[in-house]
Amino acid sequence: MSLAEQLGLAVQALRANWLRGLLTALGVIIGVASLVTLTAISAGAREGVATDLKRLGPNIVLLDGEFITLPNGVTTPTDRTLTRGDLEAVARLPSVRAVAARQVVEGLTISSGRVRTSPFVSGVSPDYLRIHNVTAAQGRLLTRDDNRFGREVIVLGSIPARRLFRAAAAVGHTVRVLDREFTVVGVYARRGSLGGENLDNNAFLPLTVAKRVLFGGDNVHGADVQVASAADVAPTMDAIDSLMAERHKIGGGLEDWSTEDQAQIINAAQAATSTFQTLTLALGAIALIVGGIGIMNIMLVSVTERTREIGIRKALGADPRHIQGQFLTEALVLCTAGGALGVGLGLAVARVVSSLAGWQTVIAPGTLVVAFATALAVGLFFGFYPARRAARLPPAVAMRYD
Amino acid sequence: MADLVIATEDLRKRYDSGELSVEALRGVDLTVAPGELVAVMGPSGSGKSTLLSILGCLEQPTSGSYLLAGEEVARFDERKAARVRRERIGFVFQSYNLLPRSTALQNVELPLIYAQIPRDERRRRAARALESVGLADRLAHLPSQLSGGQQQRVAVARAIVTEPAVLLADEPTGNLDSHSEAEILEILDDLHDRGATIVMVTHAREVAEHGTRILHMLDGRIEIDETLRASRAAPVPT
Repeated sequence: MSLAEQLGLAVQALRANWLRGLLTALGVIIGVASLVTLTAISAGAREGVATDLKRLGPNIVLLDGEFITLPNGVTTPTDRTLTRGDLEAVARLPSVRAVAARQVVEGLTISSGRVRTSPFVSGVSPDYLRIHNVTAAQGRLLTRDDNRFGREVIVLGSIPARRLFRAAAAVGHTVRVLDREFTVVGVYARRGSLGGENLDNNAFLPLTVAKRVLFGGDNVHGADVQVASAADVAPTMDAIDSLMAERHKIGGGLEDWSTEDQAQIINAAQAATSTFQTLTLALGAIALIVGGIGIMNIMLVSVTERTREIGIRKALGADPRHIQGQFLTEALVLCTAGGALGVGLGLAVARVVSSLAGWQTVIAPGTLVVAFATALAVGLFFGFYPARRAARLPPAVAMRYD
Repeated sequence: MADLVIATEDLRKRYDSGELSVEALRGVDLTVAPGELVAVMGPSGSGKSTLLSILGCLEQPTSGSYLLAGEEVARFDERKAARVRRERIGFVFQSYNLLPRSTALQNVELPLIYAQIPRDERRRRAARALESVGLADRLAHLPSQLSGGQQQRVAVARAIVTEPAVLLADEPTGNLDSHSEAEILEILDDLHDRGATIVMVTHAREVAEHGTRILHMLDGRIEIDETLRASRAAPVPT
């Protein structure tokens, strides 16, 4: 019997009971759909990390000042521990391309007339916006001259800009921060979010201005260090750590700074999807097992129902292998059909998830191949026992069965 | 001996189920020469169905020897028995046993499928077999669209399509009205005339009298071997 005939026979047998077949295949459908959704989301997350890195600026080490608790139990009053000298020393490390100081001032309100908003207001050195791949949507970004001449200018994110000026152009207007007036010179292009923090709810001032009018002193809380390549990130973090240890000489294992790889923060942000992935994988695996058992069950029922048919076929000369092949083919056809429906369902679910949760999803052709292979494997595994049972029915017994 | 179609020696069959042990055959010695039409009669429980089942290699005897066309088949396993069934034996059953979702043609094709006959030849042979039982115009009908007599004719076509060494018929007219019974017997007579070897179980004397011999079975043994006449025609060499 040719393969096509074998398949035709299986389809004919299944069509006779198609609703039962569909219900039986439900487990396989759900299992395969879960697998497709899962791989679409995890591929999307991987691609998300790559695009986030590109969007937020690649190869950046975050250097932050930290509070420390001294052996006598006293906690230092500030985390603005990075001195101008520290940053200059870091900038001299061979792998370092740029060092951009930043200082967030918390609890500030920006107002225009009677409208007010409270974004994160940061004083930043001129390289900051450049290494983070920030671009201007309106007007311009901060320049070296803004910093050098201490111009009282401000660049707004899209959120404070919309709150303060609604649809109108923000550039050229004046806003108040504390008792000072700043001229809006630009609005930066939208950057999205990173780990729950909306990156568009920011306002940037030249660092020199921020130091002079907002917080005083020369130390800053943080600096973003851009290195030449991804391979330089880890060695540079080590180099900064030993440099800082030497410069700050606190002793006792205490460090009033920390270094962090921005890429890891991005990875961590994507980890939100990993819980979902684990759950989906578990659901998919359970559904496939339950689905497989369902198929085994219905195939056993089918073998019992068709005992007489098996007897007739054997009386006409069917080998045990013929019978086994026939029932195994039915299980495989059932699972393949379930797999096809599952792929369709999975694609739909991936779409819904990506629009509801805002997660990126990527459908790789390999996913579909794996999904089909899984469905076939389930059919083969769970179809084997019923098929063998059919093949081993003694013909004389099967002929007498009613 | 070699030219006998069937030669059994001391064939015994015991069914064990728990404490209950039933001896269905208690030593059957039977020879059937080519071209014979042997009718097997006997009350129910006399072992005639078991004998037919063993002659058809549907089950193994508990002991004894069974030469089918010169080949010792009594101890064959499932796979070898399947080969013997598809190459040497044709079955006709009381309840037709057609596959309900397959057409008449597909039913007749079935043994040829298992014998690995290529599709075109299969179709041709199956159609010819249906023609020979007068159903040339019913090829595409499902069993449910045929009368009982027509269904049994399909079953006969299916049994002879492989040109078996022996045709085994278990109460072939048992489910039929007298008109259909006459049709089937006419076909069997015709096959016999053309040299086929047939063993037929029946409990109706007038059916059995179509045979060349009647075996009367009782309690698992052949009590009387009654020869009615010589074979109608010289056997056709196969």
